[in-house]
Amino acid sequence: MPRGPRLSRRGLLGGAAGLGLAGVAGAGLAACAAGPSGPPSQVVPFYGARQAGIDTDVQDRLAFAAFDVTSTSRADLIDMLRTWTAAAEAMTRGVMVPGESNAAEIPPADTGETIGLPPSRLTVTVGFGPTLFDGRFGLATHRPAAFNPLPALPGEILDPGRTGGDIGIQACADDPAVAFHAVRNLARLGKGTAVTRWTQLGFGRTASTGADQQTERNLLGFKDGTRNIKSNDADALNQHVWVGNEAGQPWIQGGSYLVARRIRMFIEAWDRDRLSDQEAVIGRSKYTGAPLTGKAEFDLPDFAAAGPDGTTVIADDAHVRLAAFENNNGLRLLRRGYSFTDGIDQRTGDLDAGLFFIAYMKDPAQFVTLQQKLGSQDALNEYIRHVGSALFACPAGVPDAHSYWGEQLFE
Amino acid sequence: MASIRADRLVGAAALLCAASLLAGCGGSGGSGAAAPSEPTTEVKIALSDAGCQPTPASVPAGPVKFAITNSGSAKVTEAELQRDGKILGEKESLTPGLSGDFSLRLDGGAYSIYCPGGAKDTWTFTVTGGGGAPSAPADTSLAVATQGYHDYIVSEVDQLVPTTKTFTDAVRAGDAAKAKAAFAPARIHYEAVEPVAESFGDLDPDIDARIDDVKDPSQWTGFHRIEKALWVDNSLAGMTPLADKLDADVNTLKTKVATERYQPAELANGAGDLLTEVSTSKVTGEEDRYSHTDLWDFQANIDGARKCFELLRPALAAKNPELAQQLEARFTDVVSGLAQYKKSDGYVDYSTVPQDQRRKLADAVNALAEPLSKVAGQVV
Repeated sequence: MPRGPRLSRRGLLGGAAGLGLAGVAGAGLAACAAGPSGPPSQVVPFYGARQAGIDTDVQDRLAFAAFDVTSTSRADLIDMLRTWTAAAEAMTRGVMVPGESNAAEIPPADTGETIGLPPSRLTVTVGFGPTLFDGRFGLATHRPAAFNPLPALPGEILDPGRTGGDIGIQACADDPAVAFHAVRNLARLGKGTAVTRWTQLGFGRTASTGADQQTERNLLGFKDGTRNIKSNDADALNQHVWVGNEAGQPWIQGGSYLVARRIRMFIEAWDRDRLSDQEAVIGRSKYTGAPLTGKAEFDLPDFAAAGPDGTTVIADDAHVRLAAFENNNGLRLLRRGYSFTDGIDQRTGDLDAGLFFIAYMKDPAQFVTLQQKLGSQDALNEYIRHVGSALFACPAGVPDAHSYWGEQLFE
Repeated sequence: MASIRADRLVGAAALLCAASLLAGCGGSGGSGAAAPSEPTTEVKIALSDAGCQPTPASVPAGPVKFAITNSGSAKVTEAELQRDGKILGEKESLTPGLSGDFSLRLDGGAYSIYCPGGAKDTWTFTVTGGGGAPSAPADTSLAVATQGYHDYIVSEVDQLVPTTKTFTDAVRAGDAAKAKAAFAPARIHYEAVEPVAESFGDLDPDIDARIDDVKDPSQWTGFHRIEKALWVDNSLAGMTPLADKLDADVNTLKTKVATERYQPAELANGAGDLLTEVSTSKVTGEEDRYSHTDLWDFQANIDGARKCFELLRPALAAKNPELAQQLEARFTDVVSGLAQYKKSDGYVDYSTVPQDQRRKLADAVNALAEPLSKVAGQVV
């Protein structure tokens, strides 16, 4: 007489039996584990030298949350990170949050809304904000030299309610319910130690990192991320994304810095701009994604090419020109952003929509350098404004079930 | 890579073994609430347009689990177990396809199953043996706790009656200033016992409904109706019958609680209900929206919850000392957070507490409410 939710969200029995473990599972299992069998590719491995969710092929949906640690106890913080790690690992396998979910007298350990859904390639990635390295937890001496709060940057009017945070959690999945479930359950498990500072849902990935993923479009209607770093480009990842031993802090080696920017797009104004100007602002064809000097999406932009009037075809203030690594001493980021919309701006009646920009990099200075240039010169600034901002240092991966997020930082 | 994968699957299989136990697959299906020597009796209730017939309709005294399913009725979506008009347990919002259960220990006597919307909405349910009155729980410290809770509720309601009368006398005399001053000091004795009061059907809405809780504003009664007259309408015209009814209602409450007995889980769940009250209606300022005396009620809810915890603490500390310790610390956080807003005769006007400070209060209450929700599982 099975009752209550099944612990497993997918047919784990099939996988276990395949490895000859059916005997361990026992006869009673069949009734419990009956359910749709998800393809194994729906599980992104949680344990590893590096955290998943950075060079993982970008999933369709995002749920992001920034937390402030309210406890001043280092032991509480470590306890929470241990609990979070175990819960995140279970959820990425499509299994319910560990704990009692079938006792009538107490609330279930798992909130339950993803029962019956496949793992959906969920990844849960953690990062620590600069404020975590103040005096509260004895971490000041572990702050890498490169890890400073972002300075004031051009092109931003930041809302404190959408900025900063002691800890950031990026949950990505192909199903929005699965991504949100991860953030919701971690927030719940953190109660008493941390509170949610801000959250952001994202849809319609605006970047691709998979070598065979097609380039998606952002809310401007343009392809975004054509020249992004791909997950199979190990050289570029090592050069631009993964932190090496230059940091002098072992806990961040193999990790990366995450910059999140909530970029409001004034899409009503953009939608009233003529096609030729939209293309001039970006420097690419709206439909093919080709640079204005080329024919196909992946043609290299020719920044020197001049048109009949003698000026460059790709304008001096075109977005692609200013952002291109050729014009920035080779500087690149791994972008992983999502579109967002959060109702309307009550002041204007316009949609509060845009790009939740996420980028991973070896050194936060990479973003600062680019934004100092883009924020002051980009023709696109007429249509966008950075309204939220956060920087997190994402530690190396969790090797196995004995470890937890950021363990090396606390040893 | 292959070895990592294999390890993960072993872990998965181990978890599934645990799942089969948790889910009661092939097991006893016990709720965990029963002592090993006392088997749980299961009563099935299938919700239908016809109603909520319990099967079986008679069970022996002891732990009983009610398993309620709705396989297709849009009209009937809840079932309540009642005795003498008091709701003992319920499962709500079971739309077609959903099922749910609740478990509790029942003593001999006549009960009913009530399901609003059914063609027949009240069904007889009988418990045989075990005496006619609730027997004292076996665990001595829990028996002390439940007796202590009875005494606490009686004492609070004993204070509610005269403090309410001070308030209603001023209303009847048309003395608005005196009535305003007496409003919050009367309410605190109600807010401390609210989960108990809520179990007596219409009594809670009659005493404590806000305007958005009532279907017909002309039928709105109780503290908040008079609160609006005092702070918004600035007129006590027509309030005398409402003052009289409020007195009658709190006296009815006094009669009812005099003979009421409680189970340990009711203390734990009552404490949780009080915190839900705080986090959904006090922190937001919705409860006392005209007088802004929300912090008085906030304090009273916390006092009521803390009383439950203190009574259960000996039993809880024996079973789960870490949880008891954590709750103690988090109660202290909430109380010290609230203390900043105290003034000589009570609390500051809540409308003067800015949003970021309200958020700090909410964070402390939420931090307390999560571990508190685990207490019932430790004391049944």
